[in-house]
Amino acid sequence: MTRIQFRVLYRKFLFRVVDLELLAPQGDTNKLLGQFAGLLIFCSLWLSLIAAVASGPDRYNLLLETLYAWMAQHFLIATTMLAVGLFTVMSWETTFPDRRDVLILSPLPVRARTLLFAKVAAVATAVSITVSALNVFTGLLLPWGFASDGATHVIRAFGAWWVTQFAAGLFLFCSVLTVQGLAQLLPRQAYLRVSSWLQTTFFILLLTVYFLQPPFAEVRDLLSNERALRWIPSYWFFGLFHQLNGAALPQLAFLAPRAWTGLSVALCGVAAAYLISYFRTLRMIAEQPDILPGRRSLHWLPRFGDSLQTAVAQFSVRTLLRSRHHRVVLTFYLGIGLGLAMFISHTHEVYLRASGFGEWYRLNAPLLMASCLIMCAAVLGTRVVFSLPLEVRANWIFRIMPRAGVTRCLTASRRSLYALAVAPIWLASAALFFRLWPWRVAAEHLALLAALGAIVAELCLHRFHKIPFTCSYLPGKTQFNMALVYLGLFLLVTEWAADREMAALGNTALYVITLGVLVTVALLARWRTVAAARSEEGQVQFEEMLDPAVFALNLHRDGVTKIQ
Amino acid sequence: MLHRVRERPVLELRNVCKYFSGIPAVEDVSFCARRGEVTGYLGPNGSGKSTTMKMITGLIEMTCGEILFEGEGIQRDWTEFKQRMGYVPEEPYLYPQLSGLEYLVMVGQLRGLPAKSIRERIDGLLRLFSLYADRDMPISSYSKGMRQKVLLSAALLHNPDLILLDEPFSGLDIGSALVMRSLIQELATRGKVVLFSSHELEIVEKVCSHVVILHRGRVVADDSIERLRTLMALPTLEDIFAQLAVEQDTAAISHQIVNLILA
Repeated sequence: MTRIQFRVLYRKFLFRVVDLELLAPQGDTNKLLGQFAGLLIFCSLWLSLIAAVASGPDRYNLLLETLYAWMAQHFLIATTMLAVGLFTVMSWETTFPDRRDVLILSPLPVRARTLLFAKVAAVATAVSITVSALNVFTGLLLPWGFASDGATHVIRAFGAWWVTQFAAGLFLFCSVLTVQGLAQLLPRQAYLRVSSWLQTTFFILLLTVYFLQPPFAEVRDLLSNERALRWIPSYWFFGLFHQLNGAALPQLAFLAPRAWTGLSVALCGVAAAYLISYFRTLRMIAEQPDILPGRRSLHWLPRFGDSLQTAVAQFSVRTLLRSRHHRVVLTFYLGIGLGLAMFISHTHEVYLRASGFGEWYRLNAPLLMASCLIMCAAVLGTRVVFSLPLEVRANWIFRIMPRAGVTRCLTASRRSLYALAVAPIWLASAALFFRLWPWRVAAEHLALLAALGAIVAELCLHRFHKIPFTCSYLPGKTQFNMALVYLGLFLLVTEWAADREMAALGNTALYVITLGVLVTVALLARWRTVAAARSEEGQVQFEEMLDPAVFALNLHRDGVTKIQ
Repeated sequence: MLHRVRERPVLELRNVCKYFSGIPAVEDVSFCARRGEVTGYLGPNGSGKSTTMKMITGLIEMTCGEILFEGEGIQRDWTEFKQRMGYVPEEPYLYPQLSGLEYLVMVGQLRGLPAKSIRERIDGLLRLFSLYADRDMPISSYSKGMRQKVLLSAALLHNPDLILLDEPFSGLDIGSALVMRSLIQELATRGKVVLFSSHELEIVEKVCSHVVILHRGRVVADDSIERLRTLMALPTLEDIFAQLAVEQDTAAISHQIVNLILA
């Protein structure tokens, strides 16, 4: 009986581990997991190529070969930890039994122990799948390069590599779960409030550590950075790999014990977290409502135009600020933008430091590019979350309203987008750049950044004939398989644009032309968006349409008469 | 009856039908609702009551037929019609992230009411519905009855002429249900047109002057309760309803269920 229950629950929990509706073609769980695994395997293929290039043997310089191999090893370990960390953040809601589990399963003759074991097993399986899928190519190809000659060494390198990757993933997963589990010691409703902020904090922390950890351009960099290495877990597991592979430098021997200690502490922590869940949280979930307590906080929001526009825009702002699901999706996009921005700025800083050209905060193209990337990520992310409904069945109130025309709703959506994405990023950039740069340069860049924000906002709103958060959503339309290609092209264009801006900031005539072009493009984009809204088919949309099963080819007999 | 002859119908449905993928949900439905009357719209589950309500509100399109409001097709000027209509849906779907106050303010703004009158009316309604103390709490923390009160406040906020109530007593406690009953009658007395759908036949019998009974998407009775009683020689609305719209032998079914679980 218990075994059957375990199997049933294990299967249910496994398919529910990650809320991947963004990737799911029509919500099909098998396709969903298949697509997720495919995405990780695709990443693995790319990572193995990058790492192979980075660790390419230069037989004329043994030191350089070693350095490249080390860089590749550390990069892959850190990337596995990042992937597992992101997975943990995405599966935040499902790693411990939640209210739904308790309320559905408690009346049934299922022991709490069975429920908890099934949950732990499902989560462990999901983490293992993540690590395996991400390393399927790298883990098979690269240990060959990391081993010295001889079959024994190769086998040892394979073993060491996979143990290290699983240990690194497990460490990060358990660490996040430990913090989440300990937070459950708080009163239930306080935990619910803290939980969403913890989730967002972890997301940002993971990206920050990944992109800002000290790189090493030479072996001596690594050896001289001992103090920093003591505190960065990816280096602990880098040391662990060398210990297991039998090739540790005595100077780096202090890293492996840290990895073992960290892993032990994290495992103990996660055991404690699940015990807390078993003895305390399961009971509390049943006793206390799973709702956030009301607070008499600040409810004031400015007007956003006429009464309808104000209603729609205030609704949008409140929904985004209060809906955890939407905040997490937006954080995901912002995290990508922030990560890329940090990576670009940090790489440039390392280059500047190495070449002695100056400090990172001086006016430079990577910093311009970073601010543009964050602006684009914020606008795009906000537009994406606008499409995800919150309580779609409640949208009837908008549908029966008398005056909700598409043009006015578009204006309201535009103002919401500006209030939630363009304005905050612009203001943050203004605060930073006026502090770092002379006021004139900062003002010039901010004017261009505002124009860019307006262009991206208008492009994102083209044919967006919806009220934010009210239209039903058909998952699976996101072309994740093409995302990397689009991202690559976008980065190339942004880099080129940042270089042009650098040139324009030193030349008044060129700057005026550049700004003029951007403002014209913004106005044209706005005209196009408004024209689409005013077109005949411009109706406020509350239901996402499936692509038609049959497409009309619109063929014409003799070029004029339509074929019926 | 004399009263009905005198008054012109405000809301009139003529041969309205709705098909979902070719399957009829509502077929050839015609009835009138008059000013000062509470029209009861009754039928078993799945008979098409909520579908009709949704067609009147414009939430779903009718397949054929015509709906007239004050003699004009409602589709001729949706904006004008919606401005004069209030609706309480069957299920209390509300935005859980908003507080009751924020939701009502949003509805007032969407209806284009002046800011000052919005706050005055909302405060008044919240006080009268005993929601004032909880006005800043998120709707997610409201009970079903509280949500129902928010929906009713939202439906009445703009002083509509036509009020569509789809199961408005759902989740209300006894006190609130009594208030609601008086409110419906008072609204009709003040000249509003009330179309009221419910399964609570006792309440319908007390509140409504005129009933329309629907069965399998078709109207099987459309008259005053008094006249139906006389015509069918049955003492209560429940008996009339059972005869017209309940096909099953309820006693036999319950007997079979008990036998099944005891077997």
